[in-house]
Amino acid sequence: MSASLSLVVLDAVDAAPGVRSLSLADPSGATLPSYTPGSHVVVEIPAGEGRERPLANAYSLTGESLHPDRYSISVLHVPHSDGGHGGSAWMHTLGVGSQVQVLPPRSAFAPVRPASRHLLLGAGIGVTPLVSHLRSHARWGAPVEVLHLARPGQGAHLDDLVELGGDAVTLVHDRATWLTILRGRLRAQPMGTHLYTCGPAGFMDTVVAEATVAGWPAGRVHLEHFGIDALAPGEPFTVGVDGDVLDVPSGVSLLEALEEAGREIPSLCRQGVCGECRLKVGSATGLLHRDLYLTDDDKAAGDCVMACVSRAQPGADGRSHLEVLL
Amino acid sequence: MSAPAPPHYTSVPAWAREPVVEPVDHAGTSHSVLSVGPDGAAAAAHWLDALGCAGARVRHHDCADAAQAVDALETDLADALVGHRVLVAGSAQACLAVRAAAVRAGLSDAELRVAVTTVDERSVWCVHCHATNSAAAELEDVLACAGCGRTLLVYPHVSRRTGAHLGFMVDAEGPA
Repeated sequence: MSASLSLVVLDAVDAAPGVRSLSLADPSGATLPSYTPGSHVVVEIPAGEGRERPLANAYSLTGESLHPDRYSISVLHVPHSDGGHGGSAWMHTLGVGSQVQVLPPRSAFAPVRPASRHLLLGAGIGVTPLVSHLRSHARWGAPVEVLHLARPGQGAHLDDLVELGGDAVTLVHDRATWLTILRGRLRAQPMGTHLYTCGPAGFMDTVVAEATVAGWPAGRVHLEHFGIDALAPGEPFTVGVDGDVLDVPSGVSLLEALEEAGREIPSLCRQGVCGECRLKVGSATGLLHRDLYLTDDDKAAGDCVMACVSRAQPGADGRSHLEVLL
Repeated sequence: MSAPAPPHYTSVPAWAREPVVEPVDHAGTSHSVLSVGPDGAAAAAHWLDALGCAGARVRHHDCADAAQAVDALETDLADALVGHRVLVAGSAQACLAVRAAAVRAGLSDAELRVAVTTVDERSVWCVHCHATNSAAAELEDVLACAGCGRTLLVYPHVSRRTGAHLGFMVDAEGPA
């Protein structure tokens, strides 16, 4: 993994209700690494103040991607009551001059360059990677269309969308209208169009379901997940590693159980998105994959698992066990 | 497929090595069915039945040769929308040529189905004189280039953009 960057907060504004926009810069003013539109950075959030362990939260970069003098992110505050882990609350405490450790940009949601046209479908804070896409398409003159759903009077970056996209941007404030427009627009895209969506899980599920009904093959549909919604604690199981057998109780992840046993497992997001904590599986009674990283083929192969969210499932004898190969 | 493809055959579709009839993709909302030659027309008949039963929107083009099919497809795709599917029936050589036109128009492999009637003939592009040969040849056969007379190896690489195989002089380093 690349070394983290030590950055300072250059600018911090409350951009919309619950959303704080931060600009992070090198303290010396040096240019930061360029990135592909749609990239994100991972901010290291220290333990303490109610956080049991350090967190690593991913935030999409919304600003200039080429030789940037700052990394711009927008953070939605997710309260504990909505499944937040305290990371976004900490981000909201940052002010000008605060120091943060940031991993260099990672690209997992890049525009498809040979696409003849781009359809951007966002909701709420899911606007952030799409602003980055739109900035790039505006620069290159690529045909683009934006349909964005935001609650009335809320939503960050709406002015950026309109400034960058002009008439190509449709802002909608209620779900019924959005669905009607979506259905129409999915059936009106010239061959060669690719679709990009970012928003809450239920929103993206709807986009994927509607696109499928409208005949879109999976290869034209690109998703950027925030992370999985709060997961069920899961049933207990056992894990075998190098001859040892460890218990993984309900509410404890495979990753946590291995770490508590002194095993070093590379990890980053701890929510099934980033792919860092993939482990080889030797055998398993069954696997309950709950990540957003592995492909369907990977999951069907049954020889790997994302330790942060996935678990063993009972086999025919009712026992839940998996063997991992470190 | 009788034998797995050697690892360096990545750009050669399985259907360009052995005839195959792929099924209709009913997820499509409209379809272009292109048949090339009498064998292609016979192979496409099953698709047309299946699509007809499903009440799908179909544009059917019964073409004499690959060039005619490419023209018809380019016309269809000029105003096609996402959701459209393309089905091509004919020789592997014709299917590769039509796929190339589809790729140029932004179609993805997931949106293309083929019915291959024969894999005997191949287009082979000479890297030396840029002539495109049409010949009965297997992969890794050699043939004389119609453009420059050099002895070409039919290398197991197919251009997605042209549908032709890569041909290069096989005996360049041999004694003159």
